[in-house]
Amino acid sequence: MPISATRREFIRTLGLSAASVPFVLNLPSLGFANQNSRKQRLVVMFSPNGITPSTFWPTEEGDTFTLKESLKPLEKYQDRTLLLRGISDRIRGDGDGHMRGIGCLLTGIELFPGNIQGGSDTPAGWAKGLSIDQEIKGFLQKDAATRTRFGSLEFGVMVPDRADTWTRMVYAGANKPIAPIDDPYQMFAKLYGGTKDREVYKSVLDDLNEDLKKVGSTVSTEDKRLLDEHTNFVREMEVELRAAKNDIVGHAVPELEPGVKRENDQIPRISKTQIDLMVNSFAADFSRIATLQYTNSVGQAKMRWLGIDEGHHELSHEPDKNEKAQEKLTKINKWFCEQLAYLTKRLAETPEPGGGGSLLDNTLIVWTNELGQGNSHTMDNIPFVLVGNGLDFKMGRSLNYKKLSHNRLLMSLAHGFGHRITSFGNPNHCDAGVLPNMT
Amino acid sequence: MPLFATLIVIVSVALPCPYVGGADKLSGEQIYQKQCVRCHGVDGAGTKEYAEPLVGDRSVAQLSKYIAKTMPEDKPGTCIGDDADTVAAYIHESFYSQAARERNTPPRIDLARLTVRQYRNTVTDLVGSFRTQTKWDEARGLRGEYFNTRNFRNDKRILDRTDDEVRFDFGTASPEKGKIEPHEFAIRWSGSVLAPETGVYDFVVRSDQSVRLWVNDNTKPLVDAYVKSGLDTEFRASILLLAGRAYPLRLEFSKALQGVADKDAKNRPPAPAMISLEWKRPHQATEVIPAQNLSPTNAAESFIVTTAFPPDDRSLGWERGTTISKAWEQSTTDAAFESAAYIATKLPELAGTTDQLPKLKEFARKFTERAFRRPLKPDEIRFFVDRQFETAKDPALAVKRVVLLVLKSPRFLFRELGDGPDPHEVASRLSYELWDSLPDQELLTAAANGKLKTREQITRHAERMLNDLRAKAKLREFTHKWLGIDQVTEISKNTERYPGFTPEVVTDLRTSLDLFVQQIVWSPTSDFRQLLLANETYLNGRLASFYGEDLAFDAPFQKWDLDAENRAGVLTHPFMMAAFSYTTETSPIHRGVFLARRVLGLVLRPPQEAFVPFPADLHPTLTTRERVAMQTKPTNCQTCHSIINPLGFTLEHFDAVGRYRENENSKPVDSLGGYLTRTGDPVNFGNVKELATFLANSNEVHAAFTEQLFHHFVQQPVRAYGPMQRAELLETFTKSQFNIRKLVVETCVVAAMKKRDPNPPK
Repeated sequence: MPISATRREFIRTLGLSAASVPFVLNLPSLGFANQNSRKQRLVVMFSPNGITPSTFWPTEEGDTFTLKESLKPLEKYQDRTLLLRGISDRIRGDGDGHMRGIGCLLTGIELFPGNIQGGSDTPAGWAKGLSIDQEIKGFLQKDAATRTRFGSLEFGVMVPDRADTWTRMVYAGANKPIAPIDDPYQMFAKLYGGTKDREVYKSVLDDLNEDLKKVGSTVSTEDKRLLDEHTNFVREMEVELRAAKNDIVGHAVPELEPGVKRENDQIPRISKTQIDLMVNSFAADFSRIATLQYTNSVGQAKMRWLGIDEGHHELSHEPDKNEKAQEKLTKINKWFCEQLAYLTKRLAETPEPGGGGSLLDNTLIVWTNELGQGNSHTMDNIPFVLVGNGLDFKMGRSLNYKKLSHNRLLMSLAHGFGHRITSFGNPNHCDAGVLPNMT
Repeated sequence: MPLFATLIVIVSVALPCPYVGGADKLSGEQIYQKQCVRCHGVDGAGTKEYAEPLVGDRSVAQLSKYIAKTMPEDKPGTCIGDDADTVAAYIHESFYSQAARERNTPPRIDLARLTVRQYRNTVTDLVGSFRTQTKWDEARGLRGEYFNTRNFRNDKRILDRTDDEVRFDFGTASPEKGKIEPHEFAIRWSGSVLAPETGVYDFVVRSDQSVRLWVNDNTKPLVDAYVKSGLDTEFRASILLLAGRAYPLRLEFSKALQGVADKDAKNRPPAPAMISLEWKRPHQATEVIPAQNLSPTNAAESFIVTTAFPPDDRSLGWERGTTISKAWEQSTTDAAFESAAYIATKLPELAGTTDQLPKLKEFARKFTERAFRRPLKPDEIRFFVDRQFETAKDPALAVKRVVLLVLKSPRFLFRELGDGPDPHEVASRLSYELWDSLPDQELLTAAANGKLKTREQITRHAERMLNDLRAKAKLREFTHKWLGIDQVTEISKNTERYPGFTPEVVTDLRTSLDLFVQQIVWSPTSDFRQLLLANETYLNGRLASFYGEDLAFDAPFQKWDLDAENRAGVLTHPFMMAAFSYTTETSPIHRGVFLARRVLGLVLRPPQEAFVPFPADLHPTLTTRERVAMQTKPTNCQTCHSIINPLGFTLEHFDAVGRYRENENSKPVDSLGGYLTRTGDPVNFGNVKELATFLANSNEVHAAFTEQLFHHFVQQPVRAYGPMQRAELLETFTKSQFNIRKLVVETCVVAAMKKRDPNPPK
């Protein structure tokens, strides 16, 4: 729908009066009764095509373990990291592995039959249900104490410009995929556009008043009545505008570096900019849920900045014995892990506004993938790397579960927010409840 | 001011002053002269010592009480009782009340801001003036390109043709046997869609295959069902469109599995495939988009402001921009931002650059000039353009500042700031009269070259402009207003009595009425009288089936003889008959009020209290006519119903869905009626045909049509154009054999040329 949820609707749902709509609109946190209790946050970060198990999973289990090459960037935060091996995506049905891999990853439910044909299996459509991040968003937005301006923010990095099963991870409901925003400028406009507008409007007010005066002096007394009314309202808005303080945003509006383009070779720049915007939006409490999707399932990023010229997906099909390829895949996943580490670092060094500690103390990041391993397309051992202390899980451990259904992890995430659902996605995989041994 | 129309009526009734007393009593005027005039001055205008004019909104009774208690100031208590009542009534009627003030001060051509409709149209055309516009030519339907593959590769294009509408059920077959495989094929339909009215449209694509639809945005699909997921075959999305404009439309259909190429397709039996492209116009049922609203030529994209605005004042029967509210102020600010944001993203297309300074400045200058509808003086260019580029830190920001400043300037937001008309004001008035939008390049060029001075020159432009889609939409809207159906959004009927009278039938009926009216309006003679006299009806298959006529169910609209011997143009059109009826029974009162108010231009007061019509089942032996007559028998009803009923009764041969009937409740229908003309001549009608003949030739009807048309196009009170304006237009109308289009042109030309007195007459 082009005429869709707008700033105005947002205000309407907040119940603010029409008179305060003007400039308040773009200024989020105002009037929110959500600043009291602990602000819990969730970030889901996605990278595609599986991982190389031998360079990814630690040999040891428990609280003493050594991070292998792919996860080395996390060393500094090892005590705040929880590695979950042995989680299986048990969802079957229509669609090839990559389609189900991303489509069922956060939804925990099958895809509809449809017309999208993968490299194998039967054709499929969209997922049959909403994703866990949106489930938790709904839970938080229901309550004024946890409600935020956006509820959730969907970031992307070089997501192909086509809507199909391979490019969508987040679902607002059955058949309702949400497109991630992979243009940092577009995200910036969504977050701060109104504030910027306000500044521009302020900058033309003097000229506008001068123009009004000039025109006013040329019209007759009778005509002036209407013009005066107009002038008075412009003044009134000016007063309100000048009275409204910029600091409602909570921090200075960040300046985006110009010239970031949606191009393969700019992926590192886009990634950093998106992470910075995400951290800013948490500091401003614009949202407590975020997703960050790198490319798409079957993603074909060419990481030339690592000296890798092949596309990610084609490399991921190479067999285990192709050591060169596995080395490259390890490099690729290490690069993704560096992004995770950068996000972690930014959260750790940003103080929690209005509370003690850092943003990381109240944020859980989940880094995941549509497959366990690219060359086998297995959905066992889907990587789940958890960082941060947002949900009171016991961090600093490496666990190996032996093929527990990933629906149970999705439920654990909800429970971590106090949202005690008894099933999520396909109920057949939820009977045993949340994952054991998490807290 | 807003109560103007009703006030005239009250005044004309109240003029004879009932308060002139007997020989021994002083009249109100005499008391005023004796006790009040010293301070309040002649006609309450005030005096040197006491300048405040004696005006206000107290009622006569309140005024009398106030006088008795406090007046005269030096001797309160000397003007009480009957004297106070008498003088209060005199003051009230002569100059104190709003009605009296209206009467004493004739209306003027008000300063007006852009109405909401004008605002949206103006911004759309302002941005559109930087794009190449295409013409809405004679070709109807959409271009259809058929591909022998699942995607849209030009080397696989087998067919390139025009399809009237998109409604195909291919089954398991090929759309072109022998040339296109039935297993996998793709079709792209493209062209434009014409929105007949302003509002939110739902676009609906029904298909069991992969489909995508773009409307007024060539990059972002409005409907995206490229992924088919689950069993849904109906996909819809809505979009705001402005009346009288063509918007680019593209529909892509692919019968195939998407994603990885399906090499086995030919080894399986072909699946069924279908598609239809439908819309739901504002307040109407969903229907296949008809060919008459489609063109195979691609129109340019239009920028449409979607910011919500508070509605305009319509208390006089037409939209007026004579009030300002904070909400409106806010909307114009929001809309300015919305426009600035759009322009920023489209700068490469609109300005040809995003960073070259001279080009951006040139764009800003043209934008300002077009928005203000007149050439800029050098100091205005410096102020609105140069200064913004000097202050802003980058050129793109400067453009944003210019857009904001211009769209918030009174030079843009207000019309008629000068006392004109200079040639540019004539251009502007003409374009707002006919298009509700700013002048086009042809008008501006004519104005700049001094070719918009004589009546002939201006008339030529008005005639040209009337053929524009926007003018056609405005004229079409006027016919709806005149017929009193502009606010009729839904008609539903008792399903037991009228099975099959579905929302789809109602939508078709509205189309049928439109076709009838438009065909007369746009015929060579454009003869107003034919609206009342012509007796054909437009039917399509669905309507024919409902009215029991013999036509294929999917037949398109065509002229049809539906009881032609008894029909009288719009008066008996089934849509009108259904709109002015209850769900089960007819309503001679609604029909009579329509005839009295809209057609004859009479002013009727609303009933003193709300009435519920006598239910038919409580009076099973009575006809509707008898029930209505019984209910409106009381004397105080008869003041108006003696006019309303005899007009409405003439239509009793048409039931609540507009079917002709001879009997009601096994009694023969009595359609005798009558009317007492304004000159006092009684006329009788045996049936609606006789009524129609009378109305078609009635001076009262022509005058009412002329006046309503003036108000719709000019949006100022006709009385502000001089006491003879109405009579002159009526004479032109009569002399032209009641040519509607000529009347529109004449009205707009006269109003565009009228000199405006900036100060109210004393």
